[in-house]
Amino acid sequence: MSVAAVVIVVVAAILIGAFGLRLSRTTSDFYVASRTVTPLWNASAIGGEYLSAASFLGIAGLILTHGADMLWLPVGWTGGYLVLLVLVSAPLRRSGAYTLPDFAESRLESMAVRRTASVLVVLIGWFYLMPQFQSAGIVLRAITGAPGWVGGLLVAVVVAVNVLSGGMRSITFVQAFQYWLKLTALAVPLVFLLMAWRSGGAPGLSEHDMTHWQLPLSSAKEYGLYSTYSLILATFLGTMGLPHVLVRFYTNPDGRAARRTTLVVLSLLGAFYLLPAIYGWLGRIYAPDVAGTDAVVLTLPGRVIGGTLGDVLTALVTAGAFAAFLSTSSGLTVSVAGVIAQDLFGGGAVRAFRLATLLAVAVPLGLAVWARSLPVADVVGLAFAVAASSFCPLLVLGIWWRRLSSAGALAGLFVGGGLACAAVMAQITGGPYGGLVGALLAQPAAWTVPIAFFVMVVASFLTPHRVPAGVARTMVRLHTPETLNLDRGDWRSRSS
Amino acid sequence: MQASSEFQELRRRFRAWTFPMTAAFLGWYLLYVVLSGWARDFMGIKVLGNINIALILGLLQFVSTFWIAWAYARHMEKKLDPIADKLRHEVEEQAK
Repeated sequence: MSVAAVVIVVVAAILIGAFGLRLSRTTSDFYVASRTVTPLWNASAIGGEYLSAASFLGIAGLILTHGADMLWLPVGWTGGYLVLLVLVSAPLRRSGAYTLPDFAESRLESMAVRRTASVLVVLIGWFYLMPQFQSAGIVLRAITGAPGWVGGLLVAVVVAVNVLSGGMRSITFVQAFQYWLKLTALAVPLVFLLMAWRSGGAPGLSEHDMTHWQLPLSSAKEYGLYSTYSLILATFLGTMGLPHVLVRFYTNPDGRAARRTTLVVLSLLGAFYLLPAIYGWLGRIYAPDVAGTDAVVLTLPGRVIGGTLGDVLTALVTAGAFAAFLSTSSGLTVSVAGVIAQDLFGGGAVRAFRLATLLAVAVPLGLAVWARSLPVADVVGLAFAVAASSFCPLLVLGIWWRRLSSAGALAGLFVGGGLACAAVMAQITGGPYGGLVGALLAQPAAWTVPIAFFVMVVASFLTPHRVPAGVARTMVRLHTPETLNLDRGDWRSRSS
Repeated sequence: MQASSEFQELRRRFRAWTFPMTAAFLGWYLLYVVLSGWARDFMGIKVLGNINIALILGLLQFVSTFWIAWAYARHMEKKLDPIADKLRHEVEEQAK
């Protein structure tokens, strides 16, 4: 039955992609069309894309394994949106830039900074795609016994076909639908699970779990305090650097609608994130043996309820998981392929975009098969750390500090992004390491983010002559409300 | 334009709200971690059955995140959008 659910989700994704292709031909312009989208639909679409495999499977798994410490992951992922809203979203919308490389080029007037930002977008996208493919493999192996790489390949092929056929153009409604599918796929089984839990006499946690699992910072993890602080930094500051997140703010007509949309997004994310936490808690009672894997959400319905109903609920959860892989992977693939085609292949031609799409999918698929499988939420957390150590300083200083120079930005991106990437690669290929070094590598944000800021500021002070000439005009453009009809300059990307 | 007092007022109001608020909410999030690290007995107090203070504070973090976003949207609409509208009208009057 679960196999049937996966087949249905996959076929539906391909059909909607094909239908979307026809739809986007009849619609005059994708962006105009999406500007008629209400904040609720728009927010659902953002939620659909944002809630990845890590949200759907990973949080429950980590909470089951490590306990209340891991509540910080969903809080951070929700709070990251808040930081993005308050500090970055409105100025960035006004900048006229659609992507992070666009912003980097327009603010710093330097192609070198633009290229560096492009490379970082691609790397972050790959680090984010890799765990999506890995967990698809885990899910497919759990329901069919197929080898781990099959699920990853399946998702990669579906996403590539969809993106290549151009079906992503009218994706807003598809992704909005996927948010509600994911919410249903977690909420309905949870209702049955809680009913079974109540009729089973509402068993509580063991005495040991009450003191060790439910209290934060008391799990067996070494350097728990450091890890938690580092996780908070990475998730709060990393969200703004995720390639597929920023572009979504442009589907709003103006700043007011963008603020309203973000508000709805936060409520939708908050509502969603309570569910995996309860799964983790139930898992501690009914399935403590699956700790350390991402399987708890898939395991519970069969184990607690069983029978045909258990099968149906497992199928529902599996369908939700595949919707999560497909929607997040599609959004990421489009962002990454766009950057590869435009900035690294130097052209927006269709052939370059197709080649870029294959590259965008093939590299993380190779990584997923080759690298040792870490918990999906951990790997996604590393992608957040890279984003927080590179794009967060670039955006915050670029928007709020007029003395940022192109040389300073470049130095900060190289040092911060480079250190974080090195830590991620060490963790993926050889980790986990023990002791203090292990903790520093597993959660690098607490040291790489300050270093990145520091390098960017000091290098800017050392190179005042590299402050871009048009900075005054750029600042006016960034900070004037868009209802003001004034001369915002005529910045256009040199590479397009 | 950039030098006009109303434009400066707009920027001042934006910063006067945004920066302290950002600091306040980061502080509130860090408070949870600090309490977890150094006030373990307090966090472990059971309020209702299995539910302890740590869990309640953890869930409140979600609630506060939403509240801050709501307060931000409200502040912008009440305090900033009117000035922006007024500025726009003035610019449009001049253009006529």
